Amino acid sequence: MSNKIELMINEVFQESFEIEKNQLKPEANIFEDLGLDSLDVVDLVVALQNKFKVEIRTDERIKEIRTLKDLCIFIKELQSEGSS
Amino acid sequence: MKRRVVVTGTGSISALGNCMKELIDSIERQVCGTKQMETWNQYKGLQSLVGAPAELPDIKIIPRKMRRSMGRMSLLAVFAVNEALESAGLEKNEITNERYGCVAGSTMGSAEALNDTFEIMLPDHDLTLLTSMSFFQCISHTVSMNIAQYLGITGSVIATSAACASSLQAIGTGFDLIRNNTQDIVLCGGSEELHPTVTGSFDILFATSTKFNETPKKTPRPFDKNRDGLVCGEGAGIIVLEELEHAKKRGANILAEVVGYNTCGSGTHISQPDRQAMIQCMKAALADAGIKPENIDFVSAHATATLQGDHEEAAAIYEVFGSQTPVNSLKGYLGHTLGASGAIELAVAIEMMNNSIIYPTLNLTDIDEGCSMIKHVKTKLKKNINFILKNCFAFGGINASIICKKYEEINE
Repeated sequence: MSNKIELMINEVFQESFEIEKNQLKPEANIFEDLGLDSLDVVDLVVALQNKFKVEIRTDERIKEIRTLKDLCIFIKELQSEGSS
Repeated sequence: MKRRVVVTGTGSISALGNCMKELIDSIERQVCGTKQMETWNQYKGLQSLVGAPAELPDIKIIPRKMRRSMGRMSLLAVFAVNEALESAGLEKNEITNERYGCVAGSTMGSAEALNDTFEIMLPDHDLTLLTSMSFFQCISHTVSMNIAQYLGITGSVIATSAACASSLQAIGTGFDLIRNNTQDIVLCGGSEELHPTVTGSFDILFATSTKFNETPKKTPRPFDKNRDGLVCGEGAGIIVLEELEHAKKRGANILAEVVGYNTCGSGTHISQPDRQAMIQCMKAALADAGIKPENIDFVSAHATATLQGDHEEAAAIYEVFGSQTPVNSLKGYLGHTLGASGAIELAVAIEMMNNSIIYPTLNLTDIDEGCSMIKHVKTKLKKNINFILKNCFAFGGINASIICKKYEEINE
């Protein structure tokens, strides 16, 4: 499951932000390593909402996300919340 | 004393190619850029199913962070900017100086982005799926803003939004900024994109060409008795304006001198063209240049092939210049590129001046009696040209005329 989430998140970064696949490592910082800025984060939220069919625009936990691994954990949490 | 302003670079992208050379070659070969727009018949009520689309080159040469805020019109503009800078002998990173600015216009923001924004938002009145970039692509100053960001411009950044007069107003504004000693170099022009909603806005006013959907190369037909309206095109045109001494100091290739400009309102009707206002505009541009009507060797008309517009412009040109000054319209080649038309067509007119050639009005087969009082160019004309006048007349009763002079160093 987590591997599938990771793959889907990586797809978002490749499709929406044109990041090369070899840069998409779990520990990669989305700002410092992948070069996203505050405007990109708005678009990241939209892309993740579309990809995972979730509503996260006002979720405060987004502000704490720094790495791809953080993002993966966050999506996993959302999905378990949704299924519980 | 006001400073002198010269043109040191031009760039364009349109239905007739991605650079000035392709554009001029196509005009030389009498190519009409109009095509059938195959998917437009899905729009109920849209009568005009023709357009003059441009082909965007690989947009990935523009870095993502600059590209993300660009709708189609801004992308088109960047390609014209790149060519204009190369033509002017300027490097991209060379114009980040408070004396170097940018004035660019369009009718509105990106039509495609506006359409997409409403399509996302309206079905469920849901804002949560809008991206951060929707706004930046939809705003009225999207073209000038994106050019300025792309080049790192720190001088004046201004957007002129006056529909079909947008880019001629941009060039006029740049002319004023330089001659009044506010700027030394200004990239001026405009951009517009083809979209069914854009054609639709003219279509519902019965201003579009509708009888040539099956024979698109025969329309638009400026000044012709069988003209039936305009054909929307798309593209971008950029003119590099520069203060004369600044241009000479860096050894720039000077293409022309801008010597007169005027923009005015008709104050009579939002859509009906008004010959008196056109006359006022052309006469004021002549007065600004300090020349007489007989000094003008060639008029590059606005003439979009609407019934009233062509008739009023022909009558206005006759009133100012009489029946002996050659007049052409480029709309038969390019369609009406709206906010980009002034800059693209002025760039072509400057080429014509420097090559002593006036290209004919394409699709002008039988001159309409109501437009017959002026001298139409029906076949390629060789003529020594020292002064040209370019017109743009926009909805809203907004008029603009600009005059350029051939630059000959020997006389300086």
